[in-house]
This record gives sequence, structure tokens and C-alpha cells, in this order.
Amino acid sequence: MTATVPEPRAGLDSRLRRRVIVGSTIVVALVAFVVWADDRIDQLDASTQATNPIIRWEYVFVREDTPHELWDRTVEHLQLTLEAMLIGFVLASVLSAIALRFRWTLTPITVFSGFLYTIPSLALFGVLVGYTSNWTSALIALTSYTLLILVRNIVAGIEGVPPAVTAAADGIGMSRTRRLWSVEIPLALPVILTGVRVATVTTVGLVAITSIIQLGGLGSLIFDGFNDRYTTKIVLGTVLSIALAIALDLVLRVIEWSTTPWTHGRVTR
Amino acid sequence: MIAAVVHTVLAQTSDPDNVVGWFTDRAGRDGSGAIPDQLWVTLWHALVSSAVAVLVAVPIATVLAHYRKAELLSGWIVNLGRVIPTVAVLGMATLVSIRNGYGFEPWPILVALTVLAMPPVFANTYTAVRGVDRDVVDAARAMGMSERSVTTRVEMVLGAPIIITGIRVAVVQLVATEGIGAYFGGDGLGTYIFLGLASGPIEQVQAGAILIAGTAMACDFVLWVTSRILFRRHGLGSSRRSAGADVQAEPIRSSDRLSTTEATT
Repeated sequence: MTATVPEPRAGLDSRLRRRVIVGSTIVVALVAFVVWADDRIDQLDASTQATNPIIRWEYVFVREDTPHELWDRTVEHLQLTLEAMLIGFVLASVLSAIALRFRWTLTPITVFSGFLYTIPSLALFGVLVGYTSNWTSALIALTSYTLLILVRNIVAGIEGVPPAVTAAADGIGMSRTRRLWSVEIPLALPVILTGVRVATVTTVGLVAITSIIQLGGLGSLIFDGFNDRYTTKIVLGTVLSIALAIALDLVLRVIEWSTTPWTHGRVTR
Repeated sequence: MIAAVVHTVLAQTSDPDNVVGWFTDRAGRDGSGAIPDQLWVTLWHALVSSAVAVLVAVPIATVLAHYRKAELLSGWIVNLGRVIPTVAVLGMATLVSIRNGYGFEPWPILVALTVLAMPPVFANTYTAVRGVDRDVVDAARAMGMSERSVTTRVEMVLGAPIIITGIRVAVVQLVATEGIGAYFGGDGLGTYIFLGLASGPIEQVQAGAILIAGTAMACDFVLWVTSRILFRRHGLGSSRRSAGADVQAEPIRSSDRLSTTEATT
């Protein structure tokens, strides 16, 4: 009994055509929305408040403080995410280096970071605020959640380098350090960067909860909206934090794509 | 550094006004409710929401995976579901609920937790059913099983360990997140944290944190043991433990395809 025949992959042409269709639909929808919204902005005034809708567009487009406030919140959100990711990446690199050099430490390190990941974020913030400043406790908590994904992917990336390649590197007389930097890390990059991307997107979602300790970036918009019984802020906070996650995901995808040219170049057969 | 930690721990244990003191001082927490009551509220919120999520997500995911349909689309939706902040769903649901006269409890938190539980349950079910060996499915068809029997008696059974893992992850995540409901006017273990943050003492915050973390880990452990016993008897592969020795499962290769979730927040 032979294995099942793999399905023929869609040709490049049909994939390209589908992408063009999807992309142009999105663009057309966006343009139509902008035109529609722009047409309505002039009609917005306080009288729409009487109808108590889910979104009051005049808060988004007409109110003068809004862009400034949103920008501040977004910057805070981004700052928390990036700082946590940076510290997390440095820590995870060190931990993975230790785990790869001394194999017996791999299990304790992964179990430890797995344990950190299981602690509820609400609980972690609650305990930490008793000891350090709000910003520091937020960073500690956010960082500890990035470690598991990062360590797992860095270790798996380096270990996934084919033994023949490392043997060849040894064969041409590379030192251990040289082999790591110019053979193993470049080849492990796709897996490492995927880990970074997933961890970043997760962190963007988690930052919202730091609102309970007076931070929270866009998440604090959500909490403000609830406290003021004002749904517009909740919707804004949600949409912007999702947009931030998607934007960071795209940026990291581009970085991934441009640093690993061998994964997508012209295929020679 | 270590000396400082030891010093802090010693100071904590020798100080009568600490977390241990809070746990033993029953009269001091009259305002925030008895621990068993709040624990029960948290547990039933989590269980009801995960039950609803399972009833909705498992059939849909199974059918879609059986026919290999909408894989990319469900991947997108699952990833989007993971990105939506739970506090946003909760805040929105609470406001809508108040406006329509349903109050703070318990509908908003149930809605938010159900939304939170969907992605892991759906993703794991889809991956589990998709991952069943094609030869086994073909063999089942060759024996004359109907498509429905193939789905329910072969694919779902063989995928059960991964499906159960998804449910376990979801339940743990729900228990861990349920505390946030206290901010939005609900009950549950989070009450201690938010009342503590609002008006002190800080020991109450720490005690609430310990209670939530403990409950989440206890749920994880109980569900893990249950599934192990269940599957060992039926000879199915062991389900993975999130904080166990074999935690270094496979790394996340790509978030485009649906992949199983194993970790919690």
C-alpha cells in the first residue's frame, strides 16, 4: 500500500491571483470606509450623544485631545512591550547558551520558564507591586512570560542545525565561537525569529492587564472606558491594541524574510 | 542578592501582619467574602464557560478538520481571538449587560471567558483531528464506516489526548483570568486583589494572588491526572503536561497553520 498521493500544490499563478484579489478587496474596502467616514465627520456634533451609540465618532475625529492621548497610550504600550521583549531576549539567550553548553541544565531551565508561564499575570502583578515600582513589576511579569517561548525556540533552532553542516564547519577549521556565529545562528534564525514574533504578539495582549497597576498603555483606555461607562474608549483601545499586534507581527515577518534570503529565493532544481 | 531575599522572607514570616496572618484572620476579611465562596464562584465561572466553549468549538472544529476546510481562515480567526484582550470583551459585555438590565453578574464574565476559551479548544481540536493518520481513516472507511462514524469513533477518539489538552489549557487560563472579573463588578477570587489594591492591605493582594495561582495550578494538576488515568486505561498516548519534565515539546514553527496550545497566562 503506497502512501497517499500528496495534493498538487496550487501553481504560483493562482496563488498570486488570489493574493491580488484579496489585497485589492481590502484596499477597496479601506478606501470606501475612509471616504464614507470623511463624509460623515462634518456632520458630527454633540447631538449624536443623545442616541448613546456604541461608538461616538466625534470622540475619535473631532475631539482635539484624542490623537495626542491615543499617541501617548500607544507609545507606552509599545515601550512596555519592547522593553520586556528586549530584556526577555537577552535573558533567554543567556539561558539557552547555558542549556546548550551544559546539557543537564536544559530540563531545569525549561521547567523553570514553564513554571513562570503558568503563574496568572494578575497574581504576579499583585505580588510584585508590594516590592518594587509599578513599571518594574510590570516589566518583570511581562519578561517572565516571554522566556518560555524564546528559550524553547532558540534551543530548538540551534539544535535543528543538521549535524553534517556543523561537521563541515569543524572540518574547514572553524573555531567553536566562529561556528556558532557564522553557521549555527544564521541557520537557526527562522525558528528564533518565529519565537520572537509569537512572544511579541503575546506580550502586546498581556500589556493590557498592567492597567490594574496604573500602566497598561492602550489597555488603560479599556479600563477608563469601563469606569466612565463610555464604550467608544473600549472599542478604540481594543482596535488599536489589535492593530499594534498585527503591525509588530508584520514588521517582524519582514525582518524574518529579509534576514533569511535562502528560504524564499529563486528555486533552482 | 540571596541575602536580601532570605532577609525578606524572614521578615515576612516573623511579621505578624503578613500573608499568613491574613489567611488566619477570618474576621478581618468580612468585607471581601469567605474564601470558599469566592473559590466556588471562580470555579463555576470557569467550568460553565469552558463547557460552552467545548460544546461550540469542538463540533465545528471537528467537522472542518475532517473535511480539511477553512484551515487558513480558522487559523486567522484563532490568532485574532488570541490577540483580543479579554478585558476589552469583559468591559464591553459588562456595559452592554448593565444597559440592558442584566447586571454585573454573571453574564459578562461568562461571555468574556467563553471567548477566551474558544481559541485553545478550537485549535487543539482542529490539529488533533487533522493529525490522525490517513491510513487509519482509510482503513475505517474500508471497513464500511460512515463518514460520521469515522469522525466520531476514529478521528475524535484518536485525537482525544490533544483535544483534552486544549480543554485543560483553556480551563487553567480561565481560572487564571477570572480574577479580572472582580474589577468589572463581579465576584470571585479576584475580589481580594482588587479590594486590596484599592484600599489595602497589600497582604490581601498577595493572598489573592496566591489563591488564584494555587487554584489554577490545582486545576491543571487535577485535569492532567484525570486525563492520564483515562487515556492510560484506553491505551492512548499520554497527554502533555505544561509544567512537567517533558515541557520542551516542539517549538512554535509557524503561526500560520493552526498549532496546539499548551501554555497558559
